[in-house]
Formats: sequence, C-alpha cells, structure tokens
Amino acid sequence: MENTIDQICTEALREIETAKSKDSLNAISVKYLGRKGIVTQFLRNISKLPTEERPKAGEKANEIKKILEKAFEDTASSLNSQSPEAHDYIDVSLQGRSAFPGSLHPITQITRQICDIFTRMGFDIAEGPEIESDYYNFEALNIPKYHPARDMQDTFYVSDNIVLRTHTSPIQVRVMEKRKPPVKVIAPGKVYRSDSDITHTPMFHQVEGLMVGENISFGNLKGILTNFVHLMFDEKTSLRFRPSFFPFTEPSAEVDILCVMCRGNGCRICSQTGWLEVLGAGMVHPAVFENVGYDTAKITGFAFGMGVERITMLKYGIDDIRKFFENDFRFLRQF
Amino acid sequence: MKVSLSWLKDYVNIEMDVQDLASALTMTGLEVESITNSFDYLDNVVVGRIVEISPHPNAEKLKICRVDTGNSIVQVVCGAPNIVENILAPLALPGTIFPDGSILQKCDIRGQVSEGMLCSERELELGDNKSGVMILSGTPETGTKISSALSLSDFVLEIGLTPNRSDCLSVIGIAREIAAIQKLKVEYPVRQQPDRNKDIQKYTSVRIEAPEHCPRYAAALVTDITVSESPFWLRKRLISIGQRPINNIVDITNFVMMECGQPLHAFDFNLLAENRIVVRTAEKGETFITLDQKERILDPEMLMICDGEKTVAIAGVMGGLNSEIANSTKRVLIESAYFNPLSIRKTSKKLGLSTEASYRFERGIDPLGTVNALVRAALLMTEIGNGKLTGGVIDENPLIHDVVPIELSISETGRLLGIEMDRENIKSCLESIEFDVENTDADTLKVTPPSFRVDITRSVDLMEEAARLYGYNNIPTTMPFIHAETIQPLKTLVLRDKIKNIMTDLSFMEAINYSFINESSCDQLRLLSNDKKRKLLHVLNPINEEQSVMRTSLIPGLLENMRRNLSQQVRNLKLFEIGNVFLSRGQDALPEEVEMAAGLWTGDRYNSVWYAKEIGCDFYDIKGIVEGLISGLNINNIRFTKMPFELCCYTKQGYTAQVTIEGRPIGLVGEIHPEVLRNFNLKQRAFIFELNCNTILDLTNKAKASQPLPKFPFTTRDITVIISKDIEAMSILEKLNSYGEKLIENTQLFDIFEGDPVPPGKKSVSVRIVYGSAEKTLEDNEVNGIHINITNRLLREFNASLSA
Ligand SMILES: [Zn+2]
Repeated sequence: MENTIDQICTEALREIETAKSKDSLNAISVKYLGRKGIVTQFLRNISKLPTEERPKAGEKANEIKKILEKAFEDTASSLNSQSPEAHDYIDVSLQGRSAFPGSLHPITQITRQICDIFTRMGFDIAEGPEIESDYYNFEALNIPKYHPARDMQDTFYVSDNIVLRTHTSPIQVRVMEKRKPPVKVIAPGKVYRSDSDITHTPMFHQVEGLMVGENISFGNLKGILTNFVHLMFDEKTSLRFRPSFFPFTEPSAEVDILCVMCRGNGCRICSQTGWLEVLGAGMVHPAVFENVGYDTAKITGFAFGMGVERITMLKYGIDDIRKFFENDFRFLRQF
Repeated sequence: MKVSLSWLKDYVNIEMDVQDLASALTMTGLEVESITNSFDYLDNVVVGRIVEISPHPNAEKLKICRVDTGNSIVQVVCGAPNIVENILAPLALPGTIFPDGSILQKCDIRGQVSEGMLCSERELELGDNKSGVMILSGTPETGTKISSALSLSDFVLEIGLTPNRSDCLSVIGIAREIAAIQKLKVEYPVRQQPDRNKDIQKYTSVRIEAPEHCPRYAAALVTDITVSESPFWLRKRLISIGQRPINNIVDITNFVMMECGQPLHAFDFNLLAENRIVVRTAEKGETFITLDQKERILDPEMLMICDGEKTVAIAGVMGGLNSEIANSTKRVLIESAYFNPLSIRKTSKKLGLSTEASYRFERGIDPLGTVNALVRAALLMTEIGNGKLTGGVIDENPLIHDVVPIELSISETGRLLGIEMDRENIKSCLESIEFDVENTDADTLKVTPPSFRVDITRSVDLMEEAARLYGYNNIPTTMPFIHAETIQPLKTLVLRDKIKNIMTDLSFMEAINYSFINESSCDQLRLLSNDKKRKLLHVLNPINEEQSVMRTSLIPGLLENMRRNLSQQVRNLKLFEIGNVFLSRGQDALPEEVEMAAGLWTGDRYNSVWYAKEIGCDFYDIKGIVEGLISGLNINNIRFTKMPFELCCYTKQGYTAQVTIEGRPIGLVGEIHPEVLRNFNLKQRAFIFELNCNTILDLTNKAKASQPLPKFPFTTRDITVIISKDIEAMSILEKLNSYGEKLIENTQLFDIFEGDPVPPGKKSVSVRIVYGSAEKTLEDNEVNGIHINITNRLLREFNASLSA
C-alpha cells in the first residue's frame, strides 16, 4: 500500500515536469487530484484498510497530496511566466466589482466651500435653532414689531412670538451674548420665508458672517468679501457695493458681482444689468451692540449674509431653485 | 415708486442720459429696478390713412372707413364728424390697452365688423380735444407707431425703495436725490402761506380726541367747486406713473401726494354732519364701508375720522363711501394730517388693506409738510375746479417738531468707514441733501437733518449718508487686523460632516427635504396615538397643506423622494438625509430640535451589473450600512435587538431592529411596513434607518487609545450547534463573550443553516472562536480544555446539540 502511493507520487511528478501547457497541466491535475482522481480514490479507500493501518496511510496520503498540489502550483506559475498563451486572458474592459461613492447634496458642497474659505480667514462656525423667538429673529436685530422692515421678509409664524427663523442672523446675537469681542464667526443654516416660485423656495440656506472688534471698518468688510468672491468664483469677478438698508446694519450695502455668465455684457441671468446681487452686508448697527451689551464707543463690526442656493445656481448653472429639494437621483448624481 | 423723467424735470434740471441717471441713483441707494416708457400703452396704435369712407347701413351717425395700416387695409367703424378720405389719423389696433384700463377688441358694431379704432387726442390721452379723430399733420408713413410719429417719449423709472427712505415716496423726494448727485438745487413749487384771516373757523372745526394717534390735523375748505374731468396736464402726470385719473378733485389730492409725499383726503363738505371733523378711535365692533365698497370691522386701536355723527374715513388708510366726492359736490374739505406711523401700520395690517396713503403714513411723512401740501392742493382746486378758497386753514394741535441736532465726530466717521474723510468732504455730502451742518470743534460737526428725513436719528445715520454720497466704491478695500485666537470646532458640525462623508463613501446620496410636512404624514406612517412624533408644531400661515407642520421624522421626506424617483423610472435608490426634527412643546414654546440621520435603500443590491444577479436589497444590507456608519464614527458596542411588535409602526413587525449603543437607544433599522408603502403609493420594498445624532454625539467623546499588537500566534476552533430556531443567533456570541474567558480573542458567526438535515424548528449555527494570549503561544491541549468547557456550557444553556 505504501509503495503504491509512493509510486503514484513519482509518476505524477514526472508527468507534471513534462507538461508543456496549462491545459495539459490541468488535465494531469484532474487525473490525480480531481474528484475521481487517483490520489483522491486512494484516500477514500483508506477506510477499507485494517484499523491499525489507517492513521499512517492517511497521514502519508495527505503528505503526498500536499507535495503534488505544490508541484502543480509551481509549474503552473512557471508556465505562466515563461510562455503566456494568446488565448489566456480576461476581459479587462468589464466594470470592476466596486462600490462607487454616493454624493453630497450640491447645497452641502457649496456650503462647505463657503465655510472653508471663511474658516481659513479665521472665522469660527456657529449654529443656532431653526425655530426662534421673535426677540432673536427680529427685536434684538433692531426690527421692532410693526416696523415696516418686517415686510422685507415674509415670515412663517408658529405663534405671535415664535417664528421659523427668516435668516441666520439670530445666531450672531446669540454668539455676541455669550462671547466678548473680538468675535469672528460665520453661521450657516436653513432659513424659512413664505415665498415660492422659480427663484424662491419656502426653505433655503444662508451663510451669515460677523466680525466684531476694535477698528473693524467698512473698508475691511469690502476686503473680506472681495477676497471671498475671488476665491469662490475667480479673481476676475469684480464687486460693486451699493447703499441699501437692513435694520441691523448701518451703513448697509448690497454687494453685486460681475455677472459670471456674461462677464458684464448683459444677459438673461443678470436681467441685462451685467451685475448679480449675491450678498447683503453692512456695519453692525449700534442698537444691536447695545442689545448684547457691547460698548459701542469702542467696538465696531460688520455682518454679511448670502443665500447658498443662489450661489450654487450660479456656480453650476442651475435655473430652477425648486430642483434642490426634489431630490431627483438624476439631478443629485451630477454633483 | 414710479416716477417719470418729465415730471422730475419740473423740479430739477436733468442733463444726464436716462441710463446714467438710473445707475447713479442705484449707486446712491435708490435702486432703479426698471426703465420703461410712459407711452408704452400706445404700442399698438399706428398711423393709419383713411382710404375710403362709406355710410354704415344700419346707423346714420356711423361711417365705415377702410384704413391703410401700412401693410393691409382694415375696416373700421367710426362716428367722428371730422373724418374725410386721405387724412392720416391714429389707428388703435385690437389689443390696445387705453389709460382707462379698457382693452380694444375686434368687434361688431351694428352688424359691421370693426378691426380697430380711429382715435381722438382725448382717447389716447395726448390732449383734451375729443371733438373728432386726431388728424396727423406732416407726412408720417402709414403703419409707423404713433409714439415715433409724434416723437413721444417719457421715461419712467421704477425705484425699489428701502423701508427707511420714506422721504423718497414722492417725485420731489427723488428730485432731491438727483439734485444731490448733480450738485444742483431743487426748484420747489411756489410755497404759499395760508391766508391770515381765519374765516374757515366760521364754517367748520376739527377736534382731535386721540392725539397720540393723530398729533396734527390740518384742513382747508374750498367752495363753489365744479367737479369735472382733470385737464390734460394733470391727467398726463398721473397716467405717466400708472395712476388712473378720476375727477379733478381726487386727481389733485393724488397729484399733490405724489408730488410731495403728503397723503390728502377730500371730503364732500355737504355730507359731513354738523360740518365738522372729530378724530377718535373706533368703538369695538364698529363697522364701516370704505371707498372700495367693502364693509370693514373696526377695533378700538383704529383711528377714525368722523363728522358730527358718523365715521367718514379710516384715518390714513381709506375714505368712506358716505362722503365721497361726486359730480354734484360743491364744497370740499381737504384733510392734510400727520398720523402716528405705528397706529396706521397696525390698522392697515389688521384690515389687510394697504393704500398709497397708508404706505406713506406708516413709513413716516414729513411732520412739517402738512400745511404746505394743504395749501398747494387748495390753490389747485381753485384754479382747476373754479373753487373759492375760504380764508385760512385749520391746523389743529400743531406738532412741535423737535429739531434735535446730532453731533458727528469726523474721526469716528473715518474709523467706521475705513477712510480719512475731511470735514469739508462730509459737510458737502450732507449739505447736498439739505442737512444743516455747523462746525463746533475740530473733530465735531453739529448736523440738523431736514424734517422729511425721519430716518435720521443718530450719528451712524449721518455716517451712512456721508458714505453713500461719497460713494461706497470710493472707500478703499482693506484687510482687518484681527486676533488669531480661535475656539474648538462645533461638535455637532464635526459629527454631521463625518456622517455625511461616511454615508457618501457607503455610496448613498444626500437628500435635503423641506422641514415642513403634511399633517397627514403621521397617519400615513401608522404612528400610534401616543407616539411622540405626533407632537406636531403647526405653522400658522403655511403656503399649502403639504407644508403645514414641522417634521418630526425624516422618513416621510425620503419616502416622498422614493415615490418621485420611481415615477422617473429610477428604481434603485440609496438616499440619506441629516436634519432637524421638531417636537412641539406647545405652540407658544420653542420646540425641541433634534438632529436626525436617516437612510433609505430600495431596489437591487447592485445596479444591473455583469458580476451579480439582480437581487433585491434586504434588511441585512441596510443594517450593514448602519454598522459601517457607526464603526466609521469609532463607536463600539452597537446592539441590534428585535423591536417589540407593538412598537413597530412604519416598519414591518419582525423585520425591525432597535439600535442601542451602551444601552442607550439611538434609533431603528428595518423594512418599511407594506401598509405604509401603500399609503405613500409605493410599489416596491424599502429599507430604512433613522438615528438620533444628539445621542450619538454623547457617545463619540471617547479618546482613542492604541492597543498593542499580539506577539504570539492565534489558534482557532470552530463549533457548530443545533439550536431552536427562535433563539437569536447573535445571542450565542454575546453569551460566549459574557463568559469572560481571557484567552478568547475574537468570536465570529460564519454560517447559519436551516432545513435538511437540520431537524424542523431548529437551525445550525457555526461559530469560529479565536484563542490567543499576550504572554505565550497557546498549547493545543490548553485550548482544547477551554474549548470543550465552553462548548458544553453553550450546549447546556441553549439546550443545543452538536451537529451530526
Ligand atoms: Zn449676465
């Protein structure tokens, strides 16, 4: 019995050595190690041996099986490296077995870009509740009840004194209440206004900024926003500041950028003006500082705010703001 | 605010081209939103030549004209006495909108079609002549637009005024800004003082019973009035800014309001009981019919204008039908008052009624302008309405306008703006808009704003005026010097960003849904009546029913997204969303805002690919995502336990797990309940998870610590046990780990099987146990001993048997 298995081994090794191709090597492998192969049969027959012989025979057969397996493997790899065969290949064009990453919502992507620029300039990020008291959303920002300025924002009310925040400006008040100047924060978040058409959705996203300290000037506001616009769009995008009104800033400004579509020549996007309104800004009104207990004789500061949807639409050429909240797979996967 | 160039030119010389003017106004804070031509309404009116005139078969006074329009001949029925063949006349084509609002249509006049209208001067608002068609002289070509044939052009600027600039709600107000831009002076209309004699007091009186609402009320009386149509120049002014002329008296009040910003009201004096005016607040529940013929319900906070018996106007908002100027009116009492802005705003808001008058009063009119405007209107009524002005005016309770000068520091102005502005610079800016500026000391100016600038109350207001007139774009762009100190980044933000990144790495797409949902979503989700997700916060003024309550779960939004995508034939979908949900604490309290992360997977495990069959995703796919997410957040000890059937609502019973970490529930994962699918009109299975980020945040604060790598090789042993089908397979691993055997490095469940040869009601579970030690290489017999012990314990505790 032992002789037989040794003979089988010698014979097999000789045949492996003479194999010239992978096919012939495979045939030999089947002949010895296949399901009905010689070695396999031998192993099966061990159970028919007398009990005392079984362990030794089994051990021996397993040893030989391992030797042969190694020989097949080695020969196969040397055959591979020596003589690649023309018909031994795979279709490398087929898609790999892989999971593709999903995608962040375009609003998230642009919010991150905006926040990145400002955090690199040294701003911290702050957040606050989306449902606010009338005090934080209006009164503390110098917008008393029944002030005509309340008409500037169509407000969703929950009760007389509770509103869905109409801007992220309440966050600046909350931050200033907690911290002494200097303060430099941006406040991203969802805001709500009762308005719905091709350029307005009842919910949208804003990033507000605030920088307060000694000797912070309107010129500084221009500097920070110019730097921001140049990074967000490009260096060629010029800015224009024009007087406007917000109850919580004075002087107040609307900031227009040169139309990114037509570069100032006038087109449909900019209503032929060559300019796009993208930011509201101004020097923090002393009344707001008084509300948070800052010393208006020493402290000045600026605030600005922008709509993320608006900037995203300009960056990606999206023409209908409602698309952002439909979450159509075919839309989302483009970003 | 609309204003025409020709009207502006009555008060200021304008040499700039209209585009330059518009951009100059925009850059000083009066944003010009559009430039139109006041003759735009003539766009469909062309020069026509009457080719042939024949009698109308059915009407003696009418003629049938064949008119050459330049490119065709049309038939027009005309009754004008002055038409003859070959004259040129303005022909209005169908579609023309006349200044009175009527629209010309092709029509049938006594059995004859009329494809246009030959117009008189009056009909086109080009003059007063209405005796016949307007005969055009010269040789304009037929078919040319009448506006170019007559060189009619008057630009109208539409200005988007910010709420602070009430002084610009008048033509003169805007003329003042233009004057400042051009460094010119405004030429005001001649301001006449009222007669010194007080004859008027013999005929009427004014009593103010609510001075806090009405600090000033002035009135004038004009008698022997002829109410008629206004003259052409007056009509033209009103039409140019889109107002419809009514009659000379009403038109004059509107004209003066537009000119100087003071709203006026004209009462038919004969209709005022006892010929007197009482200014008082309304009684509770009082009703009143306004000029627009609507009945208004009043309250005691509303200010009313009354006569000796009854209410005749809602002060500052709208007059009443009962004292309206009619053609028969002979005597007119003109009201020129200053009402409290807040009072008018409240009334206007409560009534939902905003008028040109209320708009001005609530923003604040010139408190010193009442008498000027009153006299201006009265004199116009004597001129145009042939009236007689009763001597003097009533000026009740004249408000003493506190002229409080404001001190302005030149250095502080420079510090705020970031530019050195010298005294003369600031002075000339402020003086150009009629501010009175005095020098006090080296750094201070004493500035008195004009009475119409009610928005100027503190020095920063003056700085803004100086800055805007100096030009924002002339202020240098500089960078601030700031402290470098910073604070820890917001933990919520860091976690949110991390979750978003992991979820996209796990091939999910981020969705953002509205924070409001339909109230019916709660029922659609099969929420139990005591579910805290039913603590809804209602929006008082929602845009529609679909957006009427704040969401208490992210799932309705994701299901809605799924429905939308399925309808677009996108059936494989992996979406996630992170956002706040809002749990009400009552409508009068701020709600609890909880940040949630939710995901939805529907469709196939793989999109159709060559290497895998199309297999629908299942519970373990979405569970794997949750496990991957939590592991990516570096949180251990996550547990999934069967959600009790009675607690499953929008997920399927038996296919839902509660997720806990260190014993704290953080959310659930499961398959959407078939009934919920039906409620959302979905025809395909969906799997979701919903996790509470606030709780997760509490669990992520642990510092990472490195573990030493094993020095000695591990040994593995497998066991397969047959246990009752009811036993949760993972409880075997939990049990194993609970033994506290120090040498167990790791346990892993690698196979699970039901069916032949495993007996019914049972399942086979195969577990691999990895043994190892930090001190030595373990000997076989040492491991075997432990392994046999453990195996026996398991068999006993789970009432299990070893596999055959
Ligand atoms: Zn453009």
